[in-house]
Amino acid sequence: MLHTLKLLLPAIVPSWRFFDFIAPSPRIQFTLLHTADEAPQQWHEFRPRPAQLSFKQMLGRMIWNPRWNESLFLVSCAERLMEHPTQHSEDEILKRILVELNSHSLATNVMSATHLQFRLLVIKRQDSQLQQSVSFHSRIQPLSGQTPR
Amino acid sequence: MTLIDAIRLTEILLGFAFTLQSIEHLKSFTNERHLFLPRLLLALLLIIGFHTAWVVFLLFLLSLAILYRFQGPYNGGSDRMGLLILCCLCLVHLAPTLRWQEIAFGYLAIQLVLSYFISGWVKVVNPEWRSGLALTDVFQFSAYPVSESLREWAKSPRLLFYASWAVILFELVFPLTLLSPTSLTIALGIAAAFHFSNACFFGLNRFFWIWVSAYPAIIWFQFRFFTAN
Repeated sequence: MLHTLKLLLPAIVPSWRFFDFIAPSPRIQFTLLHTADEAPQQWHEFRPRPAQLSFKQMLGRMIWNPRWNESLFLVSCAERLMEHPTQHSEDEILKRILVELNSHSLATNVMSATHLQFRLLVIKRQDSQLQQSVSFHSRIQPLSGQTPR
Repeated sequence: MTLIDAIRLTEILLGFAFTLQSIEHLKSFTNERHLFLPRLLLALLLIIGFHTAWVVFLLFLLSLAILYRFQGPYNGGSDRMGLLILCCLCLVHLAPTLRWQEIAFGYLAIQLVLSYFISGWVKVVNPEWRSGLALTDVFQFSAYPVSESLREWAKSPRLLFYASWAVILFELVFPLTLLSPTSLTIALGIAAAFHFSNACFFGLNRFFWIWVSAYPAIIWFQFRFFTAN
């Protein structure tokens, strides 16, 4: 209860410091493994943004934008993991990757893979150059019997 | 706009914003559906004006449960603004006198003004915002641009310099627009257009609907304290 009230406080007395500085930005990448101790070969970006969006699509997203809003929540989870890692944030990201894998074109790879892992790639500007570094590796999650609810 | 009208309009707009948000979760995980289906029903009751005092109170409790479920806001500032509006509406319905109702609803109006002014202040004191570099960073590598083609805007530093200053100046000047109904109307139009552009470029559609929900509070506030006397 006290924890929930702590979460509520910033809403009642907001700071309103939107975009006061542009923080390093996390990208979620995942890999599929065939054994729990296999070294990752290839990392895939989770939900890469589309190359282009038409104005009509942008207008449509004014009222129906679940996938992007979920992606923004995952960015929040990634930022929380970078600051104070919690199992909640790790679980939220893992289960959404699992759902995506089960329902999309990577299903064939999933069938042969047995485990899943994600990492956070952090992008920031150093002087005039963009730099990338890996800041977090998730636990290795078995895929068998995983039906997130 | 009278206090009663402003409160009712806020309830309708908030109900609409919550309806859109809730529908987005209905195909999600079971434990999310259990929270957002009741929220959808309550939002619809709020729109039609059915026992609004109880509905607002139940929506507030549900919002606490949602806050706990996601261990924080699902969509940052927009969720926080939704909670703030709900808190103020709860206090309005609990308030024993008209004066306390005005204080509760006036708090929402003041927070809305601060939401623009403080956002402008934190930018103007940051050299990277003043040079346009911060907005370049937003387009170049932040997680927000909705398409890869929007990242190309980072190659137009002059445009982003002017855009940065347009945003900073508008946000800083916003409190002064309370001085007349005309200036406030124009400012709210510009602010809504600003949120609309953020929705288009960065997918922040929830901000648009939630911030617009709070506009009746500031319209009433301006009339009550700057025009009526």
